Amino acid sequence: MSAATLIEQLIEALRCLPGVGPKSARRVAFHLLERDRHGARRLAEALLSAVEGVHHCQSCRTLSESPVCALCANPQRNREQLCIVETPVDAQAIERATNYRGLYFVLMGRLSPLDGIGPSDIGLDQLEKRLTAEPIQEIILATNPTVEGEATAHYINELVRPRNIKVTRIAHGVPLGGELEYVDSSTLSHAFSGRREL
Amino acid sequence: MSPSHRVLLEPSVVLHHRPYRDTSVILELFTRSHGRVGAIARGVRTEKSKWAGALQSFRPLLISWSGRGELVNVNAVEDDGAALFLSGVALTCGFYVNELLLRLLERNDSHSDLFQIYWNTVTRLGQGDEPDITLRIFERHLLQELGYGLQLDRCADRGVPIEPDVRYSYEIERGPVAYNENSYGVSVLGSTLLSLARNELKNETARRESKRLMRAVLGHYLGDKPLHSRELMQRSSALITKAS
Ligand SMILES: [Zn+2]
Repeated sequence: MSAATLIEQLIEALRCLPGVGPKSARRVAFHLLERDRHGARRLAEALLSAVEGVHHCQSCRTLSESPVCALCANPQRNREQLCIVETPVDAQAIERATNYRGLYFVLMGRLSPLDGIGPSDIGLDQLEKRLTAEPIQEIILATNPTVEGEATAHYINELVRPRNIKVTRIAHGVPLGGELEYVDSSTLSHAFSGRREL
Repeated sequence: MSPSHRVLLEPSVVLHHRPYRDTSVILELFTRSHGRVGAIARGVRTEKSKWAGALQSFRPLLISWSGRGELVNVNAVEDDGAALFLSGVALTCGFYVNELLLRLLERNDSHSDLFQIYWNTVTRLGQGDEPDITLRIFERHLLQELGYGLQLDRCADRGVPIEPDVRYSYEIERGPVAYNENSYGVSVLGSTLLSLARNELKNETARRESKRLMRAVLGHYLGDKPLHSRELMQRSSALITKAS
């Protein structure tokens, strides 16, 4: 068997993209080579620079070009609040949707006992160091409302408990504008058990 | 037994799920009539999917699927009653129960009694019943269902009834024999065996000894690979001890 041709190598490489199977990889490869060589070169260069220049923020673990990301370095942020999220996208969603002015810690995952993903895989050693070194007064747990997110929130709560830090968890419930009739029963019962006094 | 081609509204629970490609998940289900079933649910990891939140562990579901072989295709999912909200220690124990089933059940072997026992177990965990009793009862039923049932009422060497105040060596795949310190068996008091047989485990000694016994017996069938959820249980309880 002869070595793979350059085209075959490109098709194979494109398959690392999420959701791209052999068929779409072939289509993209031919498109780039036949119709957009300039775009292809830019893509290749951008990928290479990003892979070399983007790392994890030493403080919050999100993706960052500098050792500490812009948000963590911003002197305007409230250093007494720390919001814990599963992914960088979750932190961005909170930034867009709320007027939260505190800091973040990005787990880059969640505890997933059956997959062997444990506390050290989601940076909880690093979190403990921050709790010791920084003046954090409140932790806001914003993990997903899944069983794994729940297990993660519980574990962090136990980790923080001996320290004199307030721990809160974001509320989960009925989507705004949604009608109760159409909300799935689990969301509804979760919202019901988490009801608040008015 | 090969799974039938099309199954409608089968009582099921998700033991494990992992993302597959962009929008799908691969599920390990425990079902009432078909035992453990591997399944793929396509397109459920999107905002519009009405099942997105439903395919979680510890929720009674009715699942319809089609296909044969290692992975069947999920066609429909419905709730079959209210979800159990396990949290804290109960949730970690729930993961442990799921992991035991994943490791010990063969795919497509029917265990309908065990399905009911599974629900009783997670319900008890959710109610805050003592996990050390709930888990031991589950483990005993699981072993029995797999054909490895423990012998708890009679001595394996002499066939005489177990005496509560006598110490025995429990030899795996054989049963309790007269205690002797050179035996490879697990040392247990007769009262522990008898209370395990009655699903009681009222006193501390019975709980401690039956935990060690079950761990040895399950370890024999699980092999060398450690249980991930047990590690998490141990780390969590170390944290709780430290905090209190
Ligand atoms: Zn940062």
